[in-house]
Amino acid sequence: MKPRRLAAAGAALGLALVLTGAMGGEAARAGAAPGEAVTAVVGARLLTGTGAEIESGIVLIEGGKIKAVGKTGEVAVPEGAQIIDAAGRVVTPGLVDSHSHLGLGPSGGVTEDNEMSNPVTPELRIIDSIHPEGEGPDEFQFRRALAEGVTTVVARPGSGNVIGGQSAVLKLRGGTVDDMVILFPADMKMALGRKGYYASKGVMPTTKMGAAYLVRKALVEAAEYGEALERHAKAKAKDPKAAPPARDLGKEALLKVVRREIPVHIHVDSSDDIMTAVRLAGEFGFSRLSLGHAVESYKVAGELARRGVVVVVGPKMTTYDDDGRLVNLAGFLSDKGVQVDIMTDADVVQESFLRYQAAVAVKYGMDPGQALRSITLNPARTMGLEARIGSLEAGKDADLVVFDGDPFDVATRTLMVFIEGRVVYESGKEPR
Amino acid sequence: MKACAVIFAFAALAAVTAVAEEKPVVIRGGRIVPVAGPEIEDGAVLIEGGKIKAVGKAGEVAVPAGAEVVDAAGGWILPGLIESLASMGLGDPYGPSGSDEVSNPDAAGLRILDGLNPFDKRFAQAARAGITALMIAPGRANVIGARTAVVKPRGATAEEMVLLEPAGVKLTLGEGPKDAFGPKGRLPGTRMGSAYVVRKALLEASEYVRKRKDHEAGVAAAKGKKGAEPPAAPPRNLDIEPLAELLEGRLTAFIECHRADDIQTALRLVDEFGFKAVLVGATEAYKSAGEIARRRIPVVVGVMGVGSKRVETKDVSPANAAKLVEAGIKTAIAAEDAMGLGAQEELALAAAMAVKGGLDRATALRAVTLTAAEILGVADRIGSLEPGKDADIVVFDGDPFHYKTRVARVFIDGREIKIPEPLRGPRP
Repeated sequence: MKPRRLAAAGAALGLALVLTGAMGGEAARAGAAPGEAVTAVVGARLLTGTGAEIESGIVLIEGGKIKAVGKTGEVAVPEGAQIIDAAGRVVTPGLVDSHSHLGLGPSGGVTEDNEMSNPVTPELRIIDSIHPEGEGPDEFQFRRALAEGVTTVVARPGSGNVIGGQSAVLKLRGGTVDDMVILFPADMKMALGRKGYYASKGVMPTTKMGAAYLVRKALVEAAEYGEALERHAKAKAKDPKAAPPARDLGKEALLKVVRREIPVHIHVDSSDDIMTAVRLAGEFGFSRLSLGHAVESYKVAGELARRGVVVVVGPKMTTYDDDGRLVNLAGFLSDKGVQVDIMTDADVVQESFLRYQAAVAVKYGMDPGQALRSITLNPARTMGLEARIGSLEAGKDADLVVFDGDPFDVATRTLMVFIEGRVVYESGKEPR
Repeated sequence: MKACAVIFAFAALAAVTAVAEEKPVVIRGGRIVPVAGPEIEDGAVLIEGGKIKAVGKAGEVAVPAGAEVVDAAGGWILPGLIESLASMGLGDPYGPSGSDEVSNPDAAGLRILDGLNPFDKRFAQAARAGITALMIAPGRANVIGARTAVVKPRGATAEEMVLLEPAGVKLTLGEGPKDAFGPKGRLPGTRMGSAYVVRKALLEASEYVRKRKDHEAGVAAAKGKKGAEPPAAPPRNLDIEPLAELLEGRLTAFIECHRADDIQTALRLVDEFGFKAVLVGATEAYKSAGEIARRRIPVVVGVMGVGSKRVETKDVSPANAAKLVEAGIKTAIAAEDAMGLGAQEELALAAAMAVKGGLDRATALRAVTLTAAEILGVADRIGSLEPGKDADIVVFDGDPFHYKTRVARVFIDGREIKIPEPLRGPRP
């Protein structure tokens, strides 16, 4: 029974780690591969991300997955499991930022999130722009975010273009971008109502209706492209030499939207643009529509709830209505039955501040369980990843965070972060 | 909308004229944090004529006949918060006017007061968030920006709002001016270019000061001599006057600088020309704490590192304020007038971040009240709960550093600012 290095740090943190069984020493270090052992995080208050809480619970981790979650005493800890005593601590799922531009900082003086040569660029892939460690303003941001419990981010193109390109979902576990990507293409990024740049050039869109037209035209063309592909498939059955339509990278990408294979995320601010987004979603049958920023979404909350539109609130968490009342966007929409995600829009707000963004919503009245859900299970659902991440439930990836207290409290510190069962951050063992 | 503004204007005017006749107010029952002295449990503050008349134990502060009594039981009663750097009120809803005069990197001739719109909604929003005074400064495009003003977020005219004007002159080093002028092929496209703009202007100001002194001496000399004509006054130069006042010690430079090398450039300029300075923003000040402390220069830190795609703030540290205070530097905390967490509503959260970074709670509260007032030059009027000071008071419904705590009541010059209940905001 050899204590491992984690134990030393654990003692300093008040995190007592007891190791039983054969595993020990360097082999059990953070680099231990998933599947080598069972880890049991024992005794913590579990905030599961679904809105439910367990006052004192156990999370069993095996093979990078959560094997079991339950009340202390009700979950059997197998012989030989590595036990992390987390009594008095708070465990949450790894936090998920529903919208981020991390890793897209200026390189060569120009930011990497907006290709401002053409307002319609569905062919662009965000993963081709991301610096995996961050550079410029993003330097250290991946690491800092991980140290504050953020394990997954949705990386999207910026809002300079009407159709910006294809998004990705990344886990902040380091390595190359390809090592980090867990879903690509994750959705298609669009923006309505932001016509400033092209208007200044006298290029469409100089109006809001111009922006809507460009989206509609691109989707109609993508649908036609799809029909041409289908015709070709049929023709090929008869004549193997039938020529396929010329490849079109943009239409290929948008065809996934038309065929409901990927959802759509649209940056909007005003209520009229929000309803234009809803109109387009209805017209083309988007598999799911999520709206980013959507500051005036509170004016049309009923419509959004009825249609199952997701609102990704942030970076500004509050606004003011026409009577000067502060509007708690996340709390308000959530009460109206809208699925709310919360974002940093990093680096508008630092990626590492995700839990404080949610805290602002709680301050002005959002239910804390719902607020946590907005940075865990809800964004997972928005991206269609709810079977894999976002909550402490058996079968999901073992992405979890051990906090020394209420995760919304500024004073609370992160003790440990796991991604797929691996310890990727431990307080007191930060690099540099 | 317009009608609303007009009604508000009348209300505000009525408010100003009514102050003197208003009945006394007693806020009692809460924990008083006077900042200038020890905390008082179950305390009371007496307000008369817009000023603080008495502060003490609830049982010891006499309630005058006819006074309005505000029950603050369970609350925390603090001096109004002070935001040391904001650019609100400078935009124009009817056209592209902003906080930066981007026609020239040196805009020293400008006064912030001439661009200030009291009806910018953000003033009312700031007041409801417990901010009872702000220094309004231009943005960060100009190397030498306008003369700043300390204002209260109430009143219908800039004159009514002003507490101190000019409060200083804003300088900016680093990315701001480079980004604003460099891409146009204009000076400054580099950091050394910005330093040159300041140095050149200050040298011209030195010359201006010398000519004025020579002129004064000439006038004095002519007085004694019969038939001697006094020398002609040198022509006034509005672009140089603020910098001349800076060199004469009558004005303070608020220098926005973030990276350690920009901070060092600011210190070099201060050493060269010997003027009063405050560093603002100061993201990497913790790397130069010794150098700053040695010169006794105060610092206003932004702790959020908020600002999209800004390289110069990337090394933001929550420990910045704590390290500066440890080095003996007078340090205020600003929320920064920005998006998201840095929003004006969350100044207390900014201070809470500094506490997480190691600053003690009392110093953090002082950093958003009395220390800020001292740095801005208005501590004789605001910043603490002391008899004789303006009755600018904020009542929190709990510990101001806890995330669930909200601002319950706000008084500016003894007049209560009504806070509407937030939309969908049942108590957590």
